[in-house]
This record gives sequence, structure tokens and C-alpha cells, in this order.
Amino acid sequence: MVNPGKQLIKVLAIAALSLSVALSCYAMEDFPEEVEISSLENLFGPVEFDHAFHVDVTESCAECHHHTTGAPVVNEYCGKCHNAEQEMDVVACQDCHSADSGSAENLQKTATEYHFHDDKPNLKAAYHLNCLGCHRAMDGPTGCEDCHARTEAGNKFYRSGKFAPEPAAGGSEHH
Amino acid sequence: MKKLATYGVKPHDSAVKPNGQKWTLMEKLLLGLTLDQYLGQVLRNKFNWLLAIIFAIGIPAIIYRYIFGLGAVTHSSYDYPWGLFLGFGLFCMVPLSASGFMLGTTVEIFGRHDFEPIERLALLNGLLGYFFAVVYLLVDLGQPWRLAYPMVYSWGPAAVLFLVGWHVATYLSVQVAEVSTAFFEWIGFSRGYEFIRKGTVGLTVAGIILSTLHQGALGALFLYAPGKVHPLWYSAAFQWIHFFVSSIPAGLCMVITVSTVVFYTMRWRCDQRFIESLDRITISLAKGAVMGLITYLFIKFLAVAHDNEWAYLATGWGAWWLFEICFGVILPLILLSFGIHHRLVGVCRLGALITVLGILLNRLNTALIAFNWNLYQEIPHMLEVIISITIFAIYVTTYRFILNRLPILYQLKNSPVEAEAKVPAAIAREEVSASA
Amino acid sequence: MSKITRRKFLAGSVAGSAAVMMTPAKKALAAGSFEGFPDGMGVLVDLTRCIGCRTCEAACNKEQNLPAPDKPFDDYSVFDEIKHGQKRRTTEKAYTVVNRYEPTDSAQPVYRKIQCNHCNEPACLTSCFVNAYTKTPEGAVIYNSKVCVGCRNCMIACPFGIPAYTYSSAFNPVIKKCIFCYDTRLKKGQPPACVESCPQQVMTFGKRKKLMKIAYERIRKNPEKYVDQVYGDKEVGGTGWFYISSVPFEEAGFSTSLPKHPIINNVKDFLAIVPMVLAIWPALFTGFHLLATKGKKSHGHEDDHSNDGREDH
Repeated sequence: MVNPGKQLIKVLAIAALSLSVALSCYAMEDFPEEVEISSLENLFGPVEFDHAFHVDVTESCAECHHHTTGAPVVNEYCGKCHNAEQEMDVVACQDCHSADSGSAENLQKTATEYHFHDDKPNLKAAYHLNCLGCHRAMDGPTGCEDCHARTEAGNKFYRSGKFAPEPAAGGSEHH
Repeated sequence: MKKLATYGVKPHDSAVKPNGQKWTLMEKLLLGLTLDQYLGQVLRNKFNWLLAIIFAIGIPAIIYRYIFGLGAVTHSSYDYPWGLFLGFGLFCMVPLSASGFMLGTTVEIFGRHDFEPIERLALLNGLLGYFFAVVYLLVDLGQPWRLAYPMVYSWGPAAVLFLVGWHVATYLSVQVAEVSTAFFEWIGFSRGYEFIRKGTVGLTVAGIILSTLHQGALGALFLYAPGKVHPLWYSAAFQWIHFFVSSIPAGLCMVITVSTVVFYTMRWRCDQRFIESLDRITISLAKGAVMGLITYLFIKFLAVAHDNEWAYLATGWGAWWLFEICFGVILPLILLSFGIHHRLVGVCRLGALITVLGILLNRLNTALIAFNWNLYQEIPHMLEVIISITIFAIYVTTYRFILNRLPILYQLKNSPVEAEAKVPAAIAREEVSASA
Repeated sequence: MSKITRRKFLAGSVAGSAAVMMTPAKKALAAGSFEGFPDGMGVLVDLTRCIGCRTCEAACNKEQNLPAPDKPFDDYSVFDEIKHGQKRRTTEKAYTVVNRYEPTDSAQPVYRKIQCNHCNEPACLTSCFVNAYTKTPEGAVIYNSKVCVGCRNCMIACPFGIPAYTYSSAFNPVIKKCIFCYDTRLKKGQPPACVESCPQQVMTFGKRKKLMKIAYERIRKNPEKYVDQVYGDKEVGGTGWFYISSVPFEEAGFSTSLPKHPIINNVKDFLAIVPMVLAIWPALFTGFHLLATKGKKSHGHEDDHSNDGREDH
């Protein structure tokens, strides 16, 4: 879905057009209090993400949003290009991180050469790497069901709960 | 048999009965004894009782394996995919059966007809060893009914095992042909005998080629597992030479060992020629084995030097390796040399037996003990051991069955084959021996 | 620049042509310099991302219709299972497993997923005498159970200890191993089930060549985070699945003593002997025969013991 090159051009164009607006619009007030992350809902239910809480506990929007909110980027490598970036009109994770980056079509699109954004995680990984990475460092909750409840399909998938294997089945083990 | 001999009963040993009639096949099978006599001597033999016990336990175990699969008789190890069936059955039986091509070469290629009395025993030893290696393989293969696939259905010619498969199969046929002369003589099919005799040199040379390659190939099989086989038993450059060279003393010493067993337990079946020449031949074979062992010892250390593995010798594995070398190579080397020098046949025989054990130890080390040295040691399943012993017992039984009957240890008197061959000297000799 | 004299030029060209003569000959012997299909797919496994959730194991089980596991996939006690002193390995019921390691210099445990690494020049394939294995242009190493005889040489040969065998089956035992979801996904260009299921994108799916660049790029960008090695770039001639890690690979259970060349190279010296023996032995030994038996009757069976006294060789 996402062509990083095109995306970048588009983003930059919009950013340029709305430069003045953007400058004045950089404001912490218009972030959402709560976000329901449900686009990947399958084995697990949606995540009720307390955005306001995370704004409080983090020092900068850039810790999660990279360069898209206008805050100075944290990663110095990214900063080489995205220095003094303005707020963009796409700030949600799924606007840049594709849910199906591994699909055949996507692999065809990002063809031969190496681009800086080629190694961009897919949406699911973007969520987990970002959240879990921080939670592990900050001793936040790290269990799967600390953030999202497992669905019936999930229980079946993990052979857990009522789908758990019979304990006796362990008798004929091989090594 | 000894007891019968004291009553003056003589086993079948000539082409025609004393009264000039031909023996029937049944009579030949019963060694020229009556059925009662035959069964009597079978039951009197304590060794048969031991075999019977082994079969009583082992044959059901083999049937059990075929009904319930390998998982029922082995530990089903993913880390030790090859257990005793191959570790012992294939990797030990094949080198011990190198005798066929060794003696074939000596007699037929180098014209050393003084080794002739033992040539057939060596050929038979080769044939049966290979045949039972294949039997072990049939027990071990997951789908033994597909044994012929690499020959006819799906080729993987880049694989060492492909080479082993083809060579063992062809060499088995070569050996069947070589041993068939004795069988043709026994059933009195002189044309078959002549046909095979004509091709002897060709068959023998084929035997040498195939043996060189597949004895070496068995070693090369372990080249697929660098890091799994302990470095002291692994040598990318020398593995196949190790296996090939060690098969030479292995084969020769196996013949010495078997002939010793035969000499002490089946002397009634051996003719004068065999008995009289055995000491001389044993010493000569021992000389060959000494040459092989010296070469083997040298290249074993050469491999350690080549890969600079001296440091491993200071470890526990190094001690075990040194034990294998000292017990399996250096000790028999000393015994055999001493025996040869002082013409002590008994010492040579002991040396030969230890050589055989040493080769067994080497092959088991490579395939099982020093394999996965950095993982863990697998102890074979009880049934795996039982089945291995049972197949070996079948091997011994078959060996004895053939030795009892075919002219391996003795020359058939008044053989039509010999007569039709019209070799005056042979006929003259037959007459002399008949009148003696 | 010095002038090249005719003499020097000649000497150079002779040496050059000698080198040209020699090098391809040597190359031809070591003909296995196959480095994988140009468009072969691969997977980059980044151990720093793995959290040991075992979702990949569950996904594999579902995709490949494998039998029910002994324990649920959310049971993390499996990380403590030790058998014969070893952590879990792939079995006939599990084509991939995740194990936990405790590196010496790290407070955090490291998790490592194992599965078939889909070597460029697989040892299983080259050791198989019925050609049951195929390396597909897509990069998968697949197995044909229809021709498998069950010799299990591939299990001996696999440097990673991956293939498992259904010993329990009496009449149709077969090798069981990861096939890169070839039939159901890879053939259509889709990533394997485990890759798709991973919440952390520990595994990145793509063309092997491009992924390799990404792997080194990640190391280059974060030199303090990663060990400077891509495990599987050179190991056993290169693998389709390769790893980057924050701890030395031996501390995450990897075998670091593997050769940098394909396993088959070890065997090539021996295989080269085969045609030589086949060509030289017949003439050599027939010659010996003629020399040794000249003037004697070769098969006369005289056996007159005339040479009884002569025993030495």
C-alpha cells in the first residue's frame, strides 16, 4: 500500500504548502485522549490505548511518532534527513506502516535498490516494537493480554483454554 | 559330528557316492547323513541351543519392528538417526568382509595360488558379510521396500550413499558370481562353473574397484557431518583412506578369525589340504594385515597432524582415541609381528581377533560414540540390541550352513567339474588322494 | 609508469595463462560454488526483536496441519524443558521451535527461533541418494516423500539438526521439516505463516540478496546494538534464513564451528577419486595380473604346493 518514495514526496508537498499553517498549528491540544487500535483485530481484541496517559509519561511525541508531529526526532540517524521537520497531516501509525508489507504486491513494489525506508516494520510490528520496547525498558506491562484480550479464535490458535491439548498426550514423546 | 565320526560315518565330500551313484540334492543337504543322524547331531550341538534361544527372542522382535515401525524398537532419535543397525550392521560388517577382494586379488591377480585353500572361505566371508550388511540395512530403512529406488526410480548421483548403494549392489552380484563356482561344483553344474571361471579375472578386478570405492565411501559418508563427528575421528582429507586402508587388515584378520573358529569347531569339514596349509596361510595373512595396520596407524596420525588436532589428545576424547589406537592397532601390530617372527600361529590368531575388535571399536566410535560428541551419548534401545544380535546369529547360522555343505573348506572329490576340465594334473592328484 | 618490456609482458602472459588454466580447473573441481537462485526468497531473523511469545510455533502448527502440541502454545514452561541436556529441537510435530537462552553479559534473555534454514546448497539435498530434496527457484528446500527410502542420511548431514522422522509410522515413515510454506504460500509469493504471524516482525521476508543488505544495514546503523556478523551469510555456503543478534551467536545456541563452504565441498575430494579409480584400476590390476602370472597357468588350479616355501610378499 505504501510507497515510501511517493509517500515522502506527497508528505513533503503537503508540508510545504501548509508551512505557515503548520507552524502555528503545532499544538499539543489536538491529540486524541484515547485511541482504539482495532484494525488488526483477530486473535486478540482491540486495544484501548490511553493516549493521554502516554503523552504524560513520555518526554516527546517523537518517541513514538518519529518526525511526523514536528517534535525533534530522537534517532540521530533519522535526523540526518528529518531535521527540523514540521507537523504532517499523517501522524497515525497506520498511515505509514502498512498492514501487509510482506505481501507479494508489496515485495514487487519495493524492487531493487536500497531505500532508507525499506526496512520499515509492518503495522503490527510497529505497534509491538514501539509499545513493547518501551514497556520492557520502563517495566510496563508486557504480557499479551495485559493490553488486549484474546479472542475465541486466539484461544483456538494458541491451543489454549478449552482448546488445550490433553495432558496425557505427552506420553509418547520423541527426542 | 565328532560323535558320528567315531562311528565311522563320513560326511558327503565327493561328487559321487562310493558305489558310483550320484548324490541326490536331499542327501547333499543332509550332508550325506540319514535324517535321524542329521537331526541327532543338530540337537547334540550346544551352540544350536544358544542360537535357538536367540531366535526365539529375536525373530519376534524383528517381526514386531516391521509391524509397529522403527519407533517401537529404537529410541526414535532425531539426533542419532543411525543407531546400531547401521553403526554395527553396515559400518562394521562391510570392512570385515573386505576379505573377498583381498584374497581374490592375491590368488587371481597376483597368481599366488598358495593361498588357494582359503580363497573360497575369504570369498564367502565377503559375500555373507555384505549380504547381511544389506539385511541390517533392510531393518534400518524406514521404507525398505523402496530399497531399489536409487537404482531404478529416482537417482541422486551426487550423493555418497548413492555410490555406496550402487557399489554394494554390484559388488554383491560380483561376489555371488565368485562364490557360485563352489555352488555349481556342489550341485554338479559344470557348465556354469566353467562360464564363471573364465571371467574370474574380470570379476576380481571389478571387485577391487568396487571395494576401493565403497569401503572409502562408507568413510566419506561421515564427511557430511563435520562438527557432529569428533574431530579426532573426522578428517576431511583422509576419512575415506582411513576406512579403505583399515578394511584391509580388517578383512584379512576376519578370515584368520573365521578360519580359526572353523579349525577348532568344524574340523570334520576341513580336508587335509586346508588343515595342512592353514598355519602357513595364517602367517602369510598376518603379514598382509601387519602391512595394512602400519599404514593405517601412520595415516591416522597423519590426519591428526594435517588438521593440527594434537590439542584434542589431552582431552577425555583424546584418551579414548588413544585407547582405540593402542588397543585396536598398536597391540595387534605387536602381537602379529611377534607371531610372524617366531612362527607362533596362536599369537597371530589372537592378534587377528584384537584387530577385528579394534576395527569394530573404530566404526562404532565414528558412527555412534564420537558422533554428536558435543550433544549427548545415545544408549541403544534394548530391542535394537536384540535385533542386532539376532541378525548376527542368522549370519552365523547361514555361514555355518554353507560351510557345512559347499566345497569351501574341502575340495569335492571326483568332481565332474574337475574331470570335465580335463586338467591332467588335477585328475592325477584326485586319483592319488582317492587312493590314499 | 614503468615501460613494460616485451620480456616482462611475455612472462606475465605465461603466468597469466597458467593461472587461467589452473584456476578454472580448480573451480571446476569445487563446482559447488552455487550461491543460490538470483531471485530466491529469504528471511532475515532479528533476534533482538524476539520476545518468545511462540506465536510463530502456533502459526506453523496451524498452517502445516500438524498434530496437537503437548502443551498449549502460550505455555512458556517449554523454555525450561531439557532433554539429554539439550533445549527443544524441531520434531515431527513442530517444524519450528523457539528457545530461550541466558547470555552472560545480558540481563535480558535472548530467544531464538529455529526452523529449516533453507541453505543455498543444502546438505540434506546433496546427501540424498534418491534426490528427494529440491531447492526451488523461490528459495525453499522441499522434500518429496514419494521417493524417500528412509535412510535418514539427510538427518546426519543437516548441520543444523533440523529434519525429523516419523519413526512411529510403520508403513509410511517420512521426513518432516519446514518447507518455507512452499505449497500454500511461497509459491504465490506470500511470506510463510510464521513470518506473517509474528507481532514483532522478528522475521523479515524478501529477496535474499536484498535482505542481506538490510541485515548489514541494521548492523551498520546500530553498531552498539548488534554483533558484527550475519549468521547464515557465509555459514555452510549461505542460508536462505539468516540471523542477526545482540549477543555472540554461540551464546544463543548457534553452532559457530560450521564451515563457511557448503557441506558437499567436504565430500567432493572423495567424489573426484571415483572416476579415477574407475578409469585406472582395471588397467593397473590387469597389468599386475599379467606381470605376476607370466609364464604360469593362471587358473590351472595346479595347487601343487610348489611355492609352499615362499611366503613373503
